[in-house]
Amino acid sequence: MTLHKKPSLLSILDILSILLFTAVLILILFFTPTELTMGPVQKVFYFHVASAWGGMLSFILAAAAGIGYLVTRKVRWDWLSLSSVEVGLVFGLIAILSGMIWAQPIWNTWWVWDPRLTTTAIMEIIYLAYFILRSGLDTPETRARLGAVYVIVSVITVPLTFFSIRLFRTIHPVVIATGGDGGSAFNMTPRMLLAFIASLVVFTLILADLVWHRYRLAQLQNTIEEEVN
Amino acid sequence: MKSFLQYLKVIWQIFRKDFQVEWRGKQGVPVMLVFSLLVVFLFNFALQLSPTLQASLTAGLLWVSLAFASTLGLNRSISLERESNALDGLLLVPVDRSAVFFGKALSNFTFTTLVALALLPVLSLFYQQNLFHLPLVLVIVLGVGAYTGLGTLLSALSIQSRTRDVLLPILLYPLALPILIAAVEASRGILAGQPLGDLKSWIFLLLAANILFSAAGLMFFETILEE
Repeated sequence: MTLHKKPSLLSILDILSILLFTAVLILILFFTPTELTMGPVQKVFYFHVASAWGGMLSFILAAAAGIGYLVTRKVRWDWLSLSSVEVGLVFGLIAILSGMIWAQPIWNTWWVWDPRLTTTAIMEIIYLAYFILRSGLDTPETRARLGAVYVIVSVITVPLTFFSIRLFRTIHPVVIATGGDGGSAFNMTPRMLLAFIASLVVFTLILADLVWHRYRLAQLQNTIEEEVN
Repeated sequence: MKSFLQYLKVIWQIFRKDFQVEWRGKQGVPVMLVFSLLVVFLFNFALQLSPTLQASLTAGLLWVSLAFASTLGLNRSISLERESNALDGLLLVPVDRSAVFFGKALSNFTFTTLVALALLPVLSLFYQQNLFHLPLVLVIVLGVGAYTGLGTLLSALSIQSRTRDVLLPILLYPLALPILIAAVEASRGILAGQPLGDLKSWIFLLLAANILFSAAGLMFFETILEE
């Protein structure tokens, strides 16, 4: 049996993510100023936006891998697609939970049926359904093929969802204001901006690391299944 | 050009076949209609709707009951083809398989629209509110078109799973959410007497959804059904 050795680049990425995550945590806790009106709870924001970004990125990656599969019909694209969805689900969950922690003191409620919150929750359900779809399919080939179509169609609805948020009135803060109604945007000091960008970068690294690990798991699983059969 | 005519002809023939099956059996549209009425009744009792509240909820009620009822039709439409391997026969037609998608989508669209049109007078009567506005019919056509287009595509996915008909709603409802939001908001606006100009973003969203999901059917239906 040929067991795939762990690539050294992955080990480097592991260590790098751990170190940088610790660094950005210190940055957020001690380096950034406390927000004037919201107080310390505002610091949730750095992880909240970063994990929402990570979730979004991995769902796009899943769709790109889906296209990769449909074009090449190589099963490794399906592994990538599956891995991205799985890790993206966790990132999305972190975004929702951290948002709730922030919302409880600021909005005085854990949850509001705000379009942005609702659509994030719906996005989680869309990708949960991906696993239900896969579990009902018998051969790896159908799982890969139908899974690929499903992640691509799912990603089509994401811009539609975004558009419907813009149309609705929303109480969710807009961080990157696009002129006009930037009323609810809070301005960031240079230190906040630095920590914000740092957490985006670090979360992207962690995402890459986790997806890679999950990909390797799928690869090993496949090797074992081939040995058994 | 000749092959395009051939393509259109296949779409038409599939639609005609579905229509004939429905006309003779009458097992789709009446069932959907009764089901959608049941949803209306259930909501009425479950939510204890007061007359003032009812008026603002009519649009939402209309679309929720349509969305639920439509799933029945979508499931039936594809499982009919599955019986005695009729689908294999359809797939042997020497045109691009997306023609099968458009044929099935067209018949699903027609049946759900019929249910909607039958639902309008009943809701008008129950909620003492005239629902016969031409713009509302336009929104129904656009909303049902996008919804059944996506539904037809996903029913071809779900039919291949071991869980079959149970799976379709789970795949369809979350993905159809933008369609439902736009359709409900547009309908609500129309019923509240807003001019159509104020609602054009929602109408455009529905149009975009129609185009997007037709394109998705065109591109992916072949891939979904390949053996």
